[in-house]
Amino acid sequence: MSPKLVNRRIRLLFVILTIAFAATLARAAWLQGVRAEPLSRLAATQQRQTVELPARRGTIFDRNGVPLALGEQATTVYADPTQLKSARTVALAAERTLGVDAESIYPELQNRKRSFVYLERKADSTKADALRARKLPGVGFYAEERRRYPQGGVAAQVLGFAGQDNQGLAGLELSLDSSLRGKPGKETVIRDPFGRVVDVLSETAERQGRDVFLTLDHRIQAQAEVVLRETIRRWHAKAASAVVLDPRSGEVLAMAAAPNFDANRFSTTRPDYLRNRTVTDTYEPGSTFKLIPVAGAVSEALVTPQSAFTLAPSIRVADRVIHEHDPRPTVRMTVADIVAESSNVGAITLAETLGSERLAGWIDRFGFGRRTGIDFPGETPGIVLPLERWSGSTIGNLPIGHGIAVTPVQMAAAYAAVANGGVWVQPHLVEHVVGRARPTAKRKRILSPQIASQLATMLTGVVSEHGTGLAAAIPGYHVAGKTGTAAKALPDGGGYSTSKYVASFVGFVPATRPRLVILVTVDEPTTIWGGVVAAPAFQELARFALQYLEVPPDAPVSASG
Amino acid sequence: MVWIAVLAVLLVGVVALNVAVLRLNMQIEKLGQQRLELEAENALLESKVSSTLAPARIEQKARNGLGLVPAADPTYVELRRDR
Repeated sequence: MSPKLVNRRIRLLFVILTIAFAATLARAAWLQGVRAEPLSRLAATQQRQTVELPARRGTIFDRNGVPLALGEQATTVYADPTQLKSARTVALAAERTLGVDAESIYPELQNRKRSFVYLERKADSTKADALRARKLPGVGFYAEERRRYPQGGVAAQVLGFAGQDNQGLAGLELSLDSSLRGKPGKETVIRDPFGRVVDVLSETAERQGRDVFLTLDHRIQAQAEVVLRETIRRWHAKAASAVVLDPRSGEVLAMAAAPNFDANRFSTTRPDYLRNRTVTDTYEPGSTFKLIPVAGAVSEALVTPQSAFTLAPSIRVADRVIHEHDPRPTVRMTVADIVAESSNVGAITLAETLGSERLAGWIDRFGFGRRTGIDFPGETPGIVLPLERWSGSTIGNLPIGHGIAVTPVQMAAAYAAVANGGVWVQPHLVEHVVGRARPTAKRKRILSPQIASQLATMLTGVVSEHGTGLAAAIPGYHVAGKTGTAAKALPDGGGYSTSKYVASFVGFVPATRPRLVILVTVDEPTTIWGGVVAAPAFQELARFALQYLEVPPDAPVSASG
Repeated sequence: MVWIAVLAVLLVGVVALNVAVLRLNMQIEKLGQQRLELEAENALLESKVSSTLAPARIEQKARNGLGLVPAADPTYVELRRDR
């Protein structure tokens, strides 16, 4: 090959390389200069992603650490109608795998103006995985937390429920929402073309929701619910409720209302079943309220448990004549007999001895007409007539628990004060919120220890052969309590029903070293008497709880060895 | 020549460091995913434990599965030594 030819070829190669380099340079200048901004924006949207770091909602545990409400991972399934190949295929596949109604979602999937349609929110992850396996274009999935109540109906009214977006809507889920709810975090990441994270540009960590421990014991709670259901069935009652307290600490061990509901299906439940009636509803207490005039009269040193009164079969107070529940002749009764036999005439006589002003003071002292301050939303203070609005017959109504409306939790707390040696303790449901200081229950002395002891002894007389609450007796234990049978006030304010009653029993056990205060109310039973309807429910629940808590008996059978 | 070698080693080092960082980031992402999966599994298991501990379920199993009946009330006897 001649040198001339070689030189020509080198020059040609040089020209080609120069042109190629110039073209590359021009392209680079075009991309880096003119197109730089839109391209870098495009790259950022493709590589950069800001994702939310979900915060777990706190778990609600019972006092033994058994979860009663917790978050479970679910999968939300959605579709982008603009990306679907066949709306019909997706609708049918969703019906088969998720169980949704294909006909109802099909029109939405056909609507190409929309780019986001929920196929199912918080679907079961296994079902969602079955749909994911079909790899349908335009169908997307993301994880979401679903609130679950693993024990179904247990403590449903107390726990309440959280909504679709995990916000508390009722009960403790609502009142503790700020603690239970965490704070989601945020993370900006760079992904490679395969979607893998190669760099984290910024991160704000999530704050998980706080766990909450309750004072409830799920076993006592479940037993209370069983007993109430059985009581309703047996007496064809409209509703029933129960409160179990530890009188020493004010801890609520069980708080039940029946009928109740499965918290996992709250949206399909009758609204009146959702209420925690032990806190939000009132009732006229009837004879269980006789404790107050008796406590007042004994505390003011006007009478002793042995003071005797001659009591006529009925008593006139202003324009009203009040009779005993069972007709009887004129008798002589001690204060202890008045309590044991639940004498209306006797209770009114004691109240008249005490006088209106002091009786009103004792009603207030026991906490009626005021919220107990229990850590549950929607507590009602009840209805107590102010002294200045008392009529002539009020002192004939109040001592026997009429003309006053109380909540079950108020009444349980009042008896707990007697059981606790005269110290009233604020009932409470939250043992502690993890990471926060333990709440302290308010305490106040309302009776002297001697008076509380005398009242307890008198209340054990109720659960005896000559008392009205024998059905509450438990072998091996001294039981103190009081029966209540109260006609319901007519809704139009025109007096009292002659057929609708609230039967109740409230008491504590063992009477000598009280560990449990239990109140049972039964609304509109076919048999009206508290001693017949509510006392057996108290007995059944107390028997279970005493055995479960391994409370030693205070009246054991003695044997020589 | 020495400078070229040093520069080459430094360049390789920078590349290796970047690769290691990328690998670590991917590992962190994977571990984060694993953590979420384990948390979800843990919540599911806790839920199952709680459902299993539900007294109604235990009673049903005891009655129907094992043929058990509720225990009678315990009798407490207080023993006293005669003197």
